[in-house]
Amino acid sequence: MDRNTQDRVRAREAALRLLNRLTTGVGVGALAGVGVLGAVSAYTIPGAATSSQTASTATSSSASSTSSTSGLGSSSTPINSSSSGSGVVVSGGT
Amino acid sequence: MNDTLLWYTTRGAGAVSLVLLTAVVVLGILSALRVKGAGWPRFLTTGLHRNLALMTLVFLGLHIVTAVVDPFTHLGWLTAVVPFSSYYRTFWLGLGTISFELLLAIVMTSLARGFIGHAAWRMVHWLTYASWPVAVIHGIGTGTDTLSAWLLVLTVACVAAVVAAIGFRVTAGSRDPLEEPRTTFQAAVQRREPR
Repeated sequence: MDRNTQDRVRAREAALRLLNRLTTGVGVGALAGVGVLGAVSAYTIPGAATSSQTASTATSSSASSTSSTSGLGSSSTPINSSSSGSGVVVSGGT
Repeated sequence: MNDTLLWYTTRGAGAVSLVLLTAVVVLGILSALRVKGAGWPRFLTTGLHRNLALMTLVFLGLHIVTAVVDPFTHLGWLTAVVPFSSYYRTFWLGLGTISFELLLAIVMTSLARGFIGHAAWRMVHWLTYASWPVAVIHGIGTGTDTLSAWLLVLTVACVAAVVAAIGFRVTAGSRDPLEEPRTTFQAAVQRREPR
């Protein structure tokens, strides 16, 4: 193999190494990017609590409730809810 | 998995997919222009273009899967396959589905280029010029972060990069290495015709 061919082979191998490094770098960067941009998006728009309530909360007469945000929606869990239904009659036995 | 984490991952993966897709488009244009330099042979541009295209599919897959399995939106798998079948932001999500399917077709035909021939591959590859803007519009229309400064900057940078690359391609003219020999040959043939 003459010198010119050897140089070309070496240049090609160097370019292939560069291609592998660039691909790996972009892949790692993209993975990190998902994390970083996900965190930035979480920081800028963490999710808004909506006013949608469940049927059980709508009928409850409680004034105090806790609201937790999850994704785009929210869930509301009443703590001191009271029921205004009729009394429970226990029957049976002898 | 935490619903909120899925939602953040969807948004992060969507933004990264846009950046990767932009890089793929720019590299594709540079590849068509046969750009090369010292220590940067032409096959490096083509190889990086191919590798990043496959990587884009992976991150688009992450974007789609996390969006579909997010229990808040209840998108369903059909949304990822059939455009405009989503009840949620129908039009904008439909554009995302179209863009993904166009990109899938482009990558698949590139992988099967040896079987389908250059002409068919080239014809399908022109769809890139439809896939990329549709993806950008999908991001602007659907995106929760559309009005956030960071995504605005990212989107503007991506659009600027592609517009610059297209402008470069249009003004650079043909870089066909066989153009001169072909012209010489045609001229020689025309000279011989009267005989």
